[in-house]
Amino acid sequence: MQESYKTMKTPVEVTVNKKQYKVDVDTRMILADMLREELRLTGTHIGCGTGNCGACTVILNGETVKSCCIIAADVNGQEITTIEGISTSATELHPIQQAFVENQGLQCGYCTPGMVLSTMQLLKDNPNPTEDEIRHGISGNLCRCTGYQFIVQSIQDAAKRLSNGNGGKSTPSR
Amino acid sequence: MKYIGKGIPGKTNQVLTAGKGTFVGDITLPGICHLAVVRSPHAHARIKSIDTSAAEQLPGVITTITGEEIVRNTKPIPTHSSALGEKKFQLYALAIDKVRYVGEPVAAAVAEDRFIAKQAAELINVTYEDLPPVVDAEKALEAGSALVVDEWGDNILSSRIEVHGDPDARIKEAAGTVRGDVRTQRYTGVSIEPRGYLASYDRYRAKLTFWASTQSPHSLRLFLSEILGLRESQIQVIEPHVGGAFGLKLPTYPEEPLICYLAIKLERPVRWIEERTENLLAGGHAREMRLAFEAAYENDGRVTALKVRLLADVGAPSALCGWGMANVAAFLIPAVYKIADVRVERITVITNKCPWNAYRAYGKEASMLMLERMMDMIAERTGMDRAEVRLRNFIQPNEFPYKQVSGASLDSGNYQRVLASALKAADWRGFPALQASAKQRGELIGIGLAYELTPEGGCIPKSSLLSAYDGTRVQVSPKGEITIMTGVTSPGCGNETGIAQIVADELGVSPDNITVIQGDTDVCPFGLGNSSSRSVIFGGSAAKLAAGELRDKMARVAARMLEVSPEDLELDAGKIVVRGAPSRFVSFGDVAGTIYRDAFTLAACDEEPGLDTTRYFRHGNFDAMNKQPDPEGRLNFYSTWPNGATIAVVRVDIETGIVKVLRLVSVHDAGVLINPMLVNANLHGAFAQSLGGALFENLVYDDAGQLLTATLMDYTMPTAVDLPNFETSHEETPSPFNPLGAKGAGESGISGPMAAVAGAIDNALLQAGLTVHVMEMPLTPNRVWKYIEDAKIAQGNTPK
Repeated sequence: MQESYKTMKTPVEVTVNKKQYKVDVDTRMILADMLREELRLTGTHIGCGTGNCGACTVILNGETVKSCCIIAADVNGQEITTIEGISTSATELHPIQQAFVENQGLQCGYCTPGMVLSTMQLLKDNPNPTEDEIRHGISGNLCRCTGYQFIVQSIQDAAKRLSNGNGGKSTPSR
Repeated sequence: MKYIGKGIPGKTNQVLTAGKGTFVGDITLPGICHLAVVRSPHAHARIKSIDTSAAEQLPGVITTITGEEIVRNTKPIPTHSSALGEKKFQLYALAIDKVRYVGEPVAAAVAEDRFIAKQAAELINVTYEDLPPVVDAEKALEAGSALVVDEWGDNILSSRIEVHGDPDARIKEAAGTVRGDVRTQRYTGVSIEPRGYLASYDRYRAKLTFWASTQSPHSLRLFLSEILGLRESQIQVIEPHVGGAFGLKLPTYPEEPLICYLAIKLERPVRWIEERTENLLAGGHAREMRLAFEAAYENDGRVTALKVRLLADVGAPSALCGWGMANVAAFLIPAVYKIADVRVERITVITNKCPWNAYRAYGKEASMLMLERMMDMIAERTGMDRAEVRLRNFIQPNEFPYKQVSGASLDSGNYQRVLASALKAADWRGFPALQASAKQRGELIGIGLAYELTPEGGCIPKSSLLSAYDGTRVQVSPKGEITIMTGVTSPGCGNETGIAQIVADELGVSPDNITVIQGDTDVCPFGLGNSSSRSVIFGGSAAKLAAGELRDKMARVAARMLEVSPEDLELDAGKIVVRGAPSRFVSFGDVAGTIYRDAFTLAACDEEPGLDTTRYFRHGNFDAMNKQPDPEGRLNFYSTWPNGATIAVVRVDIETGIVKVLRLVSVHDAGVLINPMLVNANLHGAFAQSLGGALFENLVYDDAGQLLTATLMDYTMPTAVDLPNFETSHEETPSPFNPLGAKGAGESGISGPMAAVAGAIDNALLQAGLTVHVMEMPLTPNRVWKYIEDAKIAQGNTPK
């Protein structure tokens, strides 16, 4: 009985936010937990474990994924960006983040990292989305606090900021 | 510059958007170990034996625990019952003898990592003797039903019949009556962060530190001290960032004392982060009520009598305060309407399902739905416009404070003005034309109206959790820096920002330069945390009192420094200025510096040194100022009475029953708004939850008491594509009973949309020649389709 319960570890080499890491993880560990527990990057959150809420969204090799549904061992040799990696400096937030802050696109903040990264993907694929496209673009991210409206507004503002050039300001709407 | 009334973004936005928030799952400590809970797989069973030996042999397991050890070493969890005549029930941190719902904690394992803990939990062998489950509230009342609590002799937690006037006589005399059977489904808050706890005990300091995703750290500390036999001062409860709560994180869950007991026993930090399935099984449920009503009306639309039988299925008995939602649902009747002849029978039933915990709206949503369905039916019968019939029955603006038949003491309001504003914003009168042209295009659209009453600042006798007071400490430092420490907390809704704005106005300093500390029992004055919008109403009022005291002292000192009278001074923009002479001022920092660093100078030597005060605020609006029953034995349970009108426009697909909400218009009155941006933000969230409950969400149990909707794959949450843009505006009828005039807006918007959507669906189907009165939530496509088909059969016609 004890044999079958023996912990098995496997080495994972991964680049996260442009920094290289080498960790030994339990073979059952999911990517979200590796980021949070092993690398102490706790901005990625876990809300459901079944890929429904999107709080665990990270960018893997340039595309958003739900890290609660990826086995950590599978990202060996891959490149990941988490919420901690998108600010331009330690004190300056990414324009998308700044748009969320100023437009009250969050309340408790738990869904926000995932929401911001999904926004990043959306605006990369579609720099000038309609409201409908925005709502579809974030339909994989659940928010329970905001009812989504100020998030949509934040994304509209973010799109303007990005098209004005990085860091371009625009008047946030209320 | 005045900050109250300004819409400014939340003070915590920056940190949270950066991904640098600290939620309980983000915290680690040296030597941390992990808890896994063994939960009952049965809805109702006797525990025959628990064998932990296999689990204990697993390498990496530190300990296991069962109810037997808990009973020997801890006291029962204080419950909220018996304050209002509920039957007594004793429970501990783990099940003893019997399990009463699937998911109830029965045993636990602690191990070096989460994987081993979970494996150990699976190896703990519990044998049960299955008992017949009680899963239906009506059947639970039948003679011969299995009993959830054997000692009670029945399955009734409490019941009450209240009669005012003579409703039966009015019904006999009336021009007509309407009847309905409203059913709200079981569902819950589903905050994106589930529950989580981290407990750590230091034997040398004899100090327990408990990080909890909770709403009420001080109340929790009090309960834990009773359960664990520790002094309150030996326990520090810290509420870090919380990822949403909506009432579902009010104490006390069994895992809370369980993990604290284990931390003390092991002298190692123990962490438990709930998985979503555990949250849906055991993290508190709400809403499952049946309100069968009969109302009498006159031809001019006046409602002359109302009889309601309210049956609430509150799940298994617990130490949570959720059962009170049934009392509130009954207490709210007849809300904003003047009906003198009312009979309300409330029966609160326990079953073998997850216990209720408080969920935003706290029962108000059920009675609102019932009353609004009633009004729509009466409008239909009398041929009156649905807005007109409500206006006919509203309490008049000059009748406040108004005592409802239930004892509810409504502070102030102008329902007519709010409704008129909503009708205009939604273009109520123009809708029939829109509806007709939609019908020409083959689309069925409908419009619905609901008026909600959403009282806040709940106050229950003898409650250590729901009481109409709180405390705030305001401190100015030697350099003039302002820190607020308050007994109220925020699970993400932004009241720390509103409270900073209140203090900013008193002291003339920007909220950006004010620090707010909440959620730490070692630092903050005793308070009852967050629920019922109490944070701004009570915590904010206490902050105003405390800051006002400091303001007065600083003005006196500044007056001596400037050789004027304190009445001549204004505090603004970090300065204390002579009114009308802007060049004559001292800086806020200089006055603070004088008080602290030059305490014996003439300007300061007559004052008590320091700038640090704690004030408590108690809300008015309770009988005899003492919260006593009135001569008729009625009690008022709420401090303030926000209210609002909601208008929904929907499109119904007659083939599939799919309902799409096209517009949601809301005019809300929550008195003075401290921060309109945050109020709107909260409103939007409430609308989303209301629509979620109206159309999507459902916690479904089978006949064996097994939860079928135990992941977010099965429990449907509204996403961004499911919701419209919300059109909100506000009226302000201040509260006369607190210095802010605020009524609180934390639950506003939770009831109206659901009822308005129901009315809109009926209205849409009328376009197809079908008369339907939807009564049963959620209005999923399946259910709406069935309403359509039943109506077709009943009316023997086929829509074009």
